[in-house]
Amino acid sequence: MTAERRRNSSPLSRRSLWIAFLLAPAAVIMMTFVVWPLMSALQLSFFRFEGLTPGDFVWFENFNKVLFQSPFREATYNALWHNIVVFFALMVLENGLALLIAYALLKELPGHRVHQVIVFLPVVLSAVIVAFLWKLLLHPLFGVVNAALGLFGIMGPAWLGSEPTALGSIVFANVWHWMGFPTLVLLAGMQRISREVLEAARLDGAGDWTILTKIVWPLIAPSVTIVTVLTFIGSFNWFELPLMMADMEGSPGRSTDVLALYFYRTAFGSVTSGIQDFGQGSALAVLMFLFVGAVTVVALKYLRSREIEI
Amino acid sequence: MTDITSTSPAQSSSRPSTYKGEGLKNGAIQALLWLNAVIMLYPLFVMVMSSFKSNAEIFSSPLALPQGLNFANLEKVWSETNFLQYMGNSLLVTTASVALILVVSTMAAYAIARYEFRHSGLWLMFFLSGMTVPLKLAIIPLFLQLNALNLLNTYAGLILVYTAMGIPSAVFIMTGFLRALPKELEESARIDGANELVIMWQVMLPLARPAMVIVAIQNAVPIWNDFFFPLILITSDSLKTLPQGLTVFMGEFVTDWGVLFTGLTLAALPITLLYILLSRQFIAGLTQGAIK
Amino acid sequence: MTIAKLVRTVLLGGITAGLVTNAALAADITFWTWRQEDKAAYEQFFAAFTAENPDINVKFEALPDDTYPTMVSTGLAAGKAADVIHTHAYGWLDQFVRSGYLEPLDQAAVPSLANFTPDAIEALSFRENHQVYAVPFATMTLGLFINKDVFEKAGLTPPTTWEEFKTVSEALKAQGIIPLANGLGTSWFNEMFVSVFTGPFLGSDFGAELSTGATTYKDPRYAAALSKLLELRDYMPPNYAGVDYDTAGQLFLSGRAAMLAGGSFDIANYRKLNPAINMDFIAPPAASAGDASHASKFYDGGYAVNAASPNKEAAERLVNWMGTAEFGNMFSNTLGNISPINGVEITDPILHHVAELNQTAVPHLNVVYFRFGKPTGSEILQANITKMMAGDMTPEQVGVEMTNGIATWFAPFQGK
Repeated sequence: MTAERRRNSSPLSRRSLWIAFLLAPAAVIMMTFVVWPLMSALQLSFFRFEGLTPGDFVWFENFNKVLFQSPFREATYNALWHNIVVFFALMVLENGLALLIAYALLKELPGHRVHQVIVFLPVVLSAVIVAFLWKLLLHPLFGVVNAALGLFGIMGPAWLGSEPTALGSIVFANVWHWMGFPTLVLLAGMQRISREVLEAARLDGAGDWTILTKIVWPLIAPSVTIVTVLTFIGSFNWFELPLMMADMEGSPGRSTDVLALYFYRTAFGSVTSGIQDFGQGSALAVLMFLFVGAVTVVALKYLRSREIEI
Repeated sequence: MTDITSTSPAQSSSRPSTYKGEGLKNGAIQALLWLNAVIMLYPLFVMVMSSFKSNAEIFSSPLALPQGLNFANLEKVWSETNFLQYMGNSLLVTTASVALILVVSTMAAYAIARYEFRHSGLWLMFFLSGMTVPLKLAIIPLFLQLNALNLLNTYAGLILVYTAMGIPSAVFIMTGFLRALPKELEESARIDGANELVIMWQVMLPLARPAMVIVAIQNAVPIWNDFFFPLILITSDSLKTLPQGLTVFMGEFVTDWGVLFTGLTLAALPITLLYILLSRQFIAGLTQGAIK
Repeated sequence: MTIAKLVRTVLLGGITAGLVTNAALAADITFWTWRQEDKAAYEQFFAAFTAENPDINVKFEALPDDTYPTMVSTGLAAGKAADVIHTHAYGWLDQFVRSGYLEPLDQAAVPSLANFTPDAIEALSFRENHQVYAVPFATMTLGLFINKDVFEKAGLTPPTTWEEFKTVSEALKAQGIIPLANGLGTSWFNEMFVSVFTGPFLGSDFGAELSTGATTYKDPRYAAALSKLLELRDYMPPNYAGVDYDTAGQLFLSGRAAMLAGGSFDIANYRKLNPAINMDFIAPPAASAGDASHASKFYDGGYAVNAASPNKEAAERLVNWMGTAEFGNMFSNTLGNISPINGVEITDPILHHVAELNQTAVPHLNVVYFRFGKPTGSEILQANITKMMAGDMTPEQVGVEMTNGIATWFAPFQGK
């Protein structure tokens, strides 16, 4: 590019080109390997399937089935309800604990580096390992957890086998597995708070709780936004852990069924119980897409509005 | 006065507390952190122990230490799989994917976070939309797409799929962090006549190191551990990733929990060791953005 | 596919480090299965086949159970699936046939189809026109495993009727032995558990009546049979709700439990896990003395030819060979399963017993009749049986749920 041409090109279009250059690689890769395949799959929700191939175009028949027709309707709302429960449980347990641990780590007490390494250690494990481990630890007959309860004379339940405890047990394993991640995101946010601010507050006699809620909390708003949105999306894509700790059917009695399992089971079938219906499965996925997308947009608007620039 | 302003523990402990409860409270916090550490580590200990046990031992005495170091399970895994080859493949695929995710996502996030342009919000939503449904749904069209591009059964195919899957959350996290960076630095650099590339590369991105570390680790872990996409997209044994190779291998021993745990431990070992080895850099990177 | 083209041109220069699978030899064919644990056995079978057919090499590829349906449908949709595909029977086969993915088989190309009973052929046929699409490979029988040593030590004999079952169980319990190893922690295994104990109460005609809509699951006989299961709760392990398939096997094999309702497919597996075990596989308890007892039975699947295979001829020669007594004998003796091929000699005493049980066995209801549409009978039963056993649902309600669910796609149940 010569100096002549550079002077001629308007600053606006050069800026646009620069922005386009920044956006293009990610956009092209996403288009090719995510958006386009997803769109082709989602449009299948308008077809009635003959075996594994699309047959007639049936407009909203598949949507009508999963939203309004028994017994699919019940399964849909049951799974949706579990996703919502999982989201709130993770927000309180996983992210709540993560906030406290991050704050404790921020104090840089002796050994804080070791704790920082340890709290994140389970995150590097695969869901397969976590599922196997916790199945063994929660085993109704041979498990460590019930053995420990036995010491106090308590007969522990069949954690994963009974409806009241199954979902909670899997949520717990998820907290164990992933807690390190929000801890680090929140810690990274906290470390950007100027030390003088915290010091000043402390000199004014503010206790830890006041500092955490009144100073740290508002100042880590961007981190909270990230953690909340990722938890929300993660809760609605929750799949591997329930699949491997319970099964594809959401056992026992659909008490661990969530939307992603339900949609996968519907679209691809399961060797031990069902057959495939890609149309109905895609309809479920479209609904998930719309629901998660809409809530994310609204939530982001709200969360962003409470962020303040540091 | 607390140790919050200091970075060295020795220095802080020599400093007197401003009020009496401080030491006690810090002790309680320490105790809770250690309790947490035990809860985090105990299951891992069980996993490693189980890999030295026979099937009967796991069920009859799950809590006990193994009866001696039984390496039979380890030998079985080692001799019947191309363990090193799989591990090399996993390293290559994971490193390349994470690098690519970081580069393209940071670029896109930088555009969205630092410039005001029409539809920038829509762009963010476009990227976010990739996270809302599991890509597993689209496995058949994705497979056809890769087939059309001649990317089936190649490293490149797998890397591009992982990159595409990683972009949404990476763009989201990076946008969040980049947006929170102060405008003044950028403005003053601009006034000094620095061009946009220099501002991005030399001024802004160094401040975003913690976010990059988070993005890297958040993507590296699931990519390293994934076996679904390799199972479907990779068929040559020489290209198989570690979880894929071990999943197939472990399938031949479905009821042998000892072998299963050995396989799982071995699959987890490389990334766990890598994490522990790099944890210093990892944490340093994470605290880089700290404003002291 | 313009995006695809665009990206291809961009990519080809740079990062495409593609390795292409070699398709050099026309007679190299591939076999896909979900039976990962049978790898060694199949490689041995295929070596025997290649010894007889030197121009054909068979490559064995096992895919994980969980992802098998996904991988097969993906592979078939893209024309990248194996030449010979191991398929399940009934509704599972039906969906692949409906999409035109499998090659219809006839006796001209596959003469060994003559070695099967009509029952076996029907299981691997498309229901709408009775065209066969796969060579049947195994029958699975559901019954009762007995640990003979445990019974001997307890001074008891295995039960033959429901009343005996209860008396024997009480006696075992008094001696600190878990009578029945089964729990409810694995949903597919729960369905088999239901089949084992309800079979004798439902009798041999119930399945046929269901299949025509002459009756439904709302039939009082079905509720009565299900309610028998509630009596079993006293004899199952503590915390049985969480005891899964693996644990149940472990309890039985270690002698902590005396009986286990399960499938003949586990005989070989249990022997491998505990070579010292002295066990038998018997019919479940009959309704009352003098009644016939019925094990349950289903065809697990077959070997099908991919309609898009470039090596169809070689593939057909392979599946034909897999329908011969030569293969059947190898199969039964190596894998310890019952081959449905006529002329197969079953020498193993337990398997021999299983083959006898097969003569009077009743169909495993949902698998045989109600996996042809969504929701399948299996899905509904599996989701509700734990509720029934926990007392949250009555047997009648389970029958109603199943009937109404199946009625959404099965016309003979509609309005009933």
